[in-house]
Amino acid sequence: MSLLKLSGVTKVFGGLTAVNRLDMEISEGQIFGVIGPNGAGKTTVFNCITGIYTPEGGKISWEGEDITGLQPHQIATRGVVRTFQTIRLFSKMSVAENVMSGRHFRSKQKWWNTIFHTPKSYKDEIANWQHVKENLKYFDLIDYASHPTNSLPYGIQRKVEIARAMATEPRLLILDEPAAGLNDSETLALVELIYGIRKQGVTVLLIEHDMDLVMELTDYITVINFGEKIAEGTPSEIQKNPQVIEAYLGSEEDDD
Amino acid sequence: MKNTKNLLFILFFACLIIYPFVTEGRWLAVGITFLIFSIVALSEDIVLGRAGMFDMGHAIYFGMGAYICGILNYHYGLPIFATIPFAIIIPALIGICLAAPIVHLRGDYLLVTTLGLNMVFLQVLENDAFGLTGGPNGIFGIDSPSIFGFQLMSQTSIYYMAFIFFIITLLIIKNLEHGKAGRAFHYLSQDPIASQSIGINVRFYRILAFALGAGIAGAAGVLFAIQYGAISPEAFTFKESVLFFAIVLVGGPSSIPGILIGTFVMFVLPEVFRQFDTARYLVFGLAMIFAMVLRPNGILPFKFGKFPKFVREK
Repeated sequence: MSLLKLSGVTKVFGGLTAVNRLDMEISEGQIFGVIGPNGAGKTTVFNCITGIYTPEGGKISWEGEDITGLQPHQIATRGVVRTFQTIRLFSKMSVAENVMSGRHFRSKQKWWNTIFHTPKSYKDEIANWQHVKENLKYFDLIDYASHPTNSLPYGIQRKVEIARAMATEPRLLILDEPAAGLNDSETLALVELIYGIRKQGVTVLLIEHDMDLVMELTDYITVINFGEKIAEGTPSEIQKNPQVIEAYLGSEEDDD
Repeated sequence: MKNTKNLLFILFFACLIIYPFVTEGRWLAVGITFLIFSIVALSEDIVLGRAGMFDMGHAIYFGMGAYICGILNYHYGLPIFATIPFAIIIPALIGICLAAPIVHLRGDYLLVTTLGLNMVFLQVLENDAFGLTGGPNGIFGIDSPSIFGFQLMSQTSIYYMAFIFFIITLLIIKNLEHGKAGRAFHYLSQDPIASQSIGINVRFYRILAFALGAGIAGAAGVLFAIQYGAISPEAFTFKESVLFFAIVLVGGPSSIPGILIGTFVMFVLPEVFRQFDTARYLVFGLAMIFAMVLRPNGILPFKFGKFPKFVREK
């Protein structure tokens, strides 16, 4: 059964159809890629999935449940968590506090613990910090734990954002251009990181411009252009697809 | 570093405890005022400093607490202590109702909206709503609180009552700093979209911040009512709201010592320099300007990065 299924998803901005009747199906354990030229509507698709936009038409279902039009936090608590193309960290706060934000909805503290703690809520607090520590260790970020994130190099910030998303114990991790702005060695490390995440049983959905990375990393690819799906298949199928080549390189007629 | 900070706090509390023994009269009243306004400023800070919402109408909840205490005592004969739960819960509930339709507004828009709410609140008080608020003159003759048959008439006993409220407020805020909700306030004020995307119900926590801030301000209102034994609308105008707003920004959002210093500067120093009459406001105005220009994060800015030590140990 598919984990996440988009059927006929349409998103319109004013007169512009950013996403047009898009179908997509992601199975558990996949590393799924979405590619397309700039402005093709990839990020809009992600924003529809994560509830930041409500699509005008179509249906998004998560494990058979219709999640179209739910609030972002409702979608996140179901296990669909994302990172952003332009890194969105809590920039004044330390790395540890940023990662702790991912523990928010896993924490069992009740609303009255806002006013006073009970032994139970103390224990919950410590348990979550413990989890943050494990997470920081996994992502090799312990050394940066108390650094404010706005003082960190770009590559580390990316990692912190992924660490934060992983702290929520997601089922589906959505990465919006995770390699953007990374150098070669950082990109290599990212590939290992994503394989490691998949190994933990997390399905990965990603947008990426770095074609080498996408071809190496993903099991299945959907290609979008002008908001419509123009191809889908395994990386080797996509590489041979004439329509995809046309979208990326321009058609032969254009050259005349 | 941490030790000197703790030492300063202990010293501060010691001073607050012995204060009534070394002063009397007007200066004791100034001490009570400091405690009451500190509580209100700390409650405003929950909304403005921590949750990052520009609440320019916090005097509403302060006034509401005072008026609920006054109305229940004066019109319905409830003892003062019995009015306290009402003076906390009703402002908190009204805070929820007022905040619910407006918390999605962006900073400046929210500011203007809360300013409007403050003006409406003042109109309600001045027009003697339901014959309860006493119009422009307010309510006179509020009882002094009594406990086990003892009347807490003296300024000293009111001072200590305010001190206890003050300590409770600080405990709640400390609690907030080491819990899920307090962190959520910081997250959503820095980046609401990122907060939502990792599962924080931004709307819920914004409203919770308003409820908490309103409840604490309501409690401070009770203290205000019994300190003067009377309440009138002019103590709760939007000018007061602006002052609380300024205290948080000048002192340092989310910073407890910063806000206490801010309160001291805004409410206690004017008493100290009383002989200079209105000229003192020129000095304070200039001080505010310089504080904001030279220290845009407040006099004593809040520092993030507080978490259990074991997290960064290898």
